[in-house]
Amino acid sequence: MGSNTDLVDPFERQRLADGRLVTRREALTQAVTERAVELVMSAVDVNALLDQVDLNAVLDQVDMNRVLDRIDLDRLLARVDLNDIVQSLDVDALIQQTDLGAVIAASSSGAAADVLDVVRSQAVGLDEFIARWIARLRRRSYTGPPGPPGRPRAEAAS
Amino acid sequence: MTARAGDAPPRGSPAVIRESLQGKYAGFASRFTAFAVDVGVSLGVFLLALAAVSFAARVLTGRDISWNKGDIWVIIAYAVWAFIYFAYSWAASGRTAGMALFGVRVVRDDGTHASARRAVVRTLALPLSFLFLGLGFAGILLGDRRRALHDVIAGTAVIYSWDARAARLRFLSRG
Repeated sequence: MGSNTDLVDPFERQRLADGRLVTRREALTQAVTERAVELVMSAVDVNALLDQVDLNAVLDQVDMNRVLDRIDLDRLLARVDLNDIVQSLDVDALIQQTDLGAVIAASSSGAAADVLDVVRSQAVGLDEFIARWIARLRRRSYTGPPGPPGRPRAEAAS
Repeated sequence: MTARAGDAPPRGSPAVIRESLQGKYAGFASRFTAFAVDVGVSLGVFLLALAAVSFAARVLTGRDISWNKGDIWVIIAYAVWAFIYFAYSWAASGRTAGMALFGVRVVRDDGTHASARRAVVRTLALPLSFLFLGLGFAGILLGDRRRALHDVIAGTAVIYSWDARAARLRFLSRG
């Protein structure tokens, strides 16, 4: 059987004191670090730093294809609710701001001009076909139609 | 933009795609189809006018007017209308609606603008080309200058006024 002093840890008081000291030390260190970072950040001119960064050179080093390969577009699109987006669009306001008349007129006139060019091309092609055959029957060489000596003014868009 | 005289268009192709024929004598197909369109347009307008007259007469007098196609007055009225249609169009701009559609126009035989007098003479001489089974049109097929009988009488010619090269550039700019 031991004495009563065997139950007392002789270093307990020292450990308790050390624990309090450690806590204080950590708090002090953290406060010092925060203050130091604060001082450094206020001293650094971020704009000047960014000016020195050559973003083009950085982007040149980025392999976009590789980045895109890693993106799962299907999964990304599956998470997009297109119906929700479409419903959020104010189509009426969009139409009111668009000059639909001008759009339709431009596309219609373009299509009409295309049709006109095709019709004329076909007619001229037939002209040349007939002229070549007539020349062949008359045993003459055909070198295209001649024109009158004087020329009328060119038509801008006929 | 005009192609040089004497340039040969590529064989077996609608030459307009590569080369403008603007200012050259127009061929038979373009002229014939343009004339067919003109006959259709003038006849359509004439029939519409007859219908309008009938409607107006029925509203005003309450009587129906029936037109007989063989009626001499209807034929004379159409002849007068056709004369006005062709003569005015050729005198004003050198082309009718059908000719504008197919990109051809009437000019003097030296290539300059046809006067009103020539337009009138050409219109009056046009029926002569239909005589003897349309023998007067043979000059378009066989003549070097592609002139029909009424062209020779009026001293006119028909040329392409359509710039195929510009049309192609327009097409490319839209594409």
